[in-house]
Amino acid sequence: MHFLLPLFRWADGTWLGETIRGSRIYFPIIETFHLLALTMLFGAVIVLNLRLCRVIMKNQPVQQVAEDLSPYAFWSLVVILTSGFMLFTSEAMKCYASKPFQVKMVFLFSALIFHFTVHRKATRSDREPTLPWGSLVGAVNVLLWLGVGLGGRGIGFL
Amino acid sequence: MSDVPAVIQWLQNSEIGTGIRESVWTFPLVETTHVLALALSVGVLIWFDLRLLGWGMKHTPVSQVHKQVMPLAGIGFIVMFISGILLFWSEAEKCYLSGFFRAKVLFLVLAGVNAAVFEFTTKKSIEEWDKYPVPPPKARIAGLFSILSWAAVIIAGRATAYNLF
Repeated sequence: MHFLLPLFRWADGTWLGETIRGSRIYFPIIETFHLLALTMLFGAVIVLNLRLCRVIMKNQPVQQVAEDLSPYAFWSLVVILTSGFMLFTSEAMKCYASKPFQVKMVFLFSALIFHFTVHRKATRSDREPTLPWGSLVGAVNVLLWLGVGLGGRGIGFL
Repeated sequence: MSDVPAVIQWLQNSEIGTGIRESVWTFPLVETTHVLALALSVGVLIWFDLRLLGWGMKHTPVSQVHKQVMPLAGIGFIVMFISGILLFWSEAEKCYLSGFFRAKVLFLVLAGVNAAVFEFTTKKSIEEWDKYPVPPPKARIAGLFSILSWAAVIIAGRATAYNLF
């Protein structure tokens, strides 16, 4: 037995999970919010990291682009995580058995940690990171979020 | 099904349509490409729309955001359109009969008309707008309309896949 199994069992048995499971339309509605917020976050990630790689908006300081995007990115992340948790409780046991879900969670936690540490440092300092370093941080950030998206799409298919 | 036009039936039953639908990997891959291209194109476009509204990226001139961001959105739209056609090809009958799919096409046309009007007429004075923090009402309306119509496309598209009604 995996040490996380009790967590999945708990989520599966919550009132929230049962309510969502019991309706035909709750899941699609919540997932639509998940998808809309995800579109917004992904757009922000692309714009900011292309700037970090000096592909677009070269005339604007990275720090400023990051500050302009951050409130929207933050709130879309809040919507994504909340709706994602709700979806998870409704099919926690399916997720427990799902390889793509495991992959998604590894990418998600890596992306979040990277985003709020290395990435934040690179985008919020007065001095812009030098090109190879900035590009590397930007590329890693995009790839981590891409992994989250691909893993998520995989849950539905595999 | 008799109430489906012959061309729709022909599409669905064609070699390519059947191939996409029945293969283990092609449909999920095309679908995943479609969603990623959507996140790229609409996700990036939203920033231009928010800039038009004066709500986001306030420190970057409107014309700059347009010049930098629209090529990306364009690439995303091309990929999304091609993958979308392939998905439709494989499920033409289901799509034809789905009220959500019809709504999606309608919203797509609205979004397209809005974009065309903006690109061919409204945009002419975009350099002027750079002088002010918030663009004129006609530009703001275009931005808001774009966000709403694309959100409607996404919602209707997601509902098509669930086949709720």
